[in-house]
Amino acid sequence: MSDAIAYATIRELGARYRARQLSPVEVTRALLERIEKLDGALHAFITLTPERALADARAAEEALRQGDGRPLLGIPVAHKDIYCTRGIRTTGGSALYADWTPDTDATCVRRWQDAGTVLLGKLITHEFAFGLQFPGHRFQPARNPWNPAHIPGGSSSGSGAALAAGLVHGATGSDTGGSIRGPASFCGIVGLKPTYGRCSRAGVLSLSWTLDHTGPMARTVEDCAYLLQPLAGHDPADPASSPALVDDYVAALGRDVRGVRVGVVRNYFFEGVDPEVERAFEAAMATLRQLGADVRDVRIPSLAASPSFMLIMLAEAYAYHERDLRDHPELYGEVLRERLLAGALVTGAEYMQAQRIRSEICRETAAVLREVDVLATPTSPRPATPFAQAQDPDFGFPRSNTPPFNITGSPTLALPCGFSSSGLPLSMQLAGRAFEERTVLGLGHAYEQATDWHKRRPPV
Amino acid sequence: MNNELTLQELRDRVKAAGITIPDNRLSMVRKLLSDALVHVRALDSRAIKTVEPAVRFEAGHE
Repeated sequence: MSDAIAYATIRELGARYRARQLSPVEVTRALLERIEKLDGALHAFITLTPERALADARAAEEALRQGDGRPLLGIPVAHKDIYCTRGIRTTGGSALYADWTPDTDATCVRRWQDAGTVLLGKLITHEFAFGLQFPGHRFQPARNPWNPAHIPGGSSSGSGAALAAGLVHGATGSDTGGSIRGPASFCGIVGLKPTYGRCSRAGVLSLSWTLDHTGPMARTVEDCAYLLQPLAGHDPADPASSPALVDDYVAALGRDVRGVRVGVVRNYFFEGVDPEVERAFEAAMATLRQLGADVRDVRIPSLAASPSFMLIMLAEAYAYHERDLRDHPELYGEVLRERLLAGALVTGAEYMQAQRIRSEICRETAAVLREVDVLATPTSPRPATPFAQAQDPDFGFPRSNTPPFNITGSPTLALPCGFSSSGLPLSMQLAGRAFEERTVLGLGHAYEQATDWHKRRPPV
Repeated sequence: MNNELTLQELRDRVKAAGITIPDNRLSMVRKLLSDALVHVRALDSRAIKTVEPAVRFEAGHE
């Protein structure tokens, strides 16, 4: 299979399908061969579904013959393995669910299926979307295609690795403290954490109810917009789902970004940032200025308290896992188990104070977003961490730039903005007002069109 | 209030919660909780505007 097909955009694949230059079955077979060849070293997939993929591809081929115009028709995708898939095992990256086969699809899975996608399989996740896969764990961790000695980020690790390696054309991720944007940053791809309530969480294993977001991961901003479209919209099966109207996300791309007000949040996000990350980010802001954006500095003082979000996440995660932790502690990875147990040590008053801090951060962020249209920061303070460091059981959670926008629920797009001297991808994130995904996608797309970071390929 | 979570306080919390955390993981858990607690402990709950989690009820809905 040529790299041109493996890395084709959704628009390009659709055009070639409709010009009868390619067929979904051909592309699916070629991708299955590519996965067979490359994934032995990458471990992005935990379950492959070749028969299902070929059946989906044949159905797409028939629909194309009938003139079906759906943009995702015949597009090969895979789901993070915390999304329930009917008749296909869903492990959560955990020994606890290693043999569990759900009898229903998550809403997001069904919506992509209804949009005509081809399901290639399930992608490895950090255990329960939280812990790393340490040596001795039931499942192998995914490797970073840019350098297999480094982590691909997590917890949507397989999604990031598979996209960077050209194994899929779209993937789902989930983001509780940065699990879409982190892998997007470390793997040099694009990830969108939509507004809280924009995409359904129904049928997706929970980590923390008030912080969990589902969303698409892709290689370009336009692909992300195509993939978001069917996912967005009210779902009565998700109590947090919003009835807010859904925009046409692809139509929002390509608009003039002159005058768009971009606020660079100068406090919190630049503490301890790697100089190469900072240089790449400042160069990205210069590019946005050249495109006509009004880039200015802003401050959100309450963000200093954002690490308290961990109290919310730990307490909610413990509430979700309490019974299994008591009944089957041996089925949890050792380090994850103790991190989840830490949630039992958070008092009710501490949980509530953390929620009050969260409200203050939301209030201040909303006030700043009345002065600017988009907030910009580096996605990660540093490039991808080496496995040798991340798999030290005492390795904590390093300071992270992603949780503030889980706290606020803001739509936030991570996209490539450079490379380190060691060849690892660097990324920036753009956050907008609630339900204004179109704004961050539009600005991200304009930046992407002015640069070529998204065209670089890892040495797989 | 001391903003730092001491090892003894952590042991007391583990005991009160009725769970077991191996000794070789206590420092990891202590750091995880301490980093998260520092701002909550620094908060003067009387000094900030009252903020409460909203529970909304709408007529005609369950």
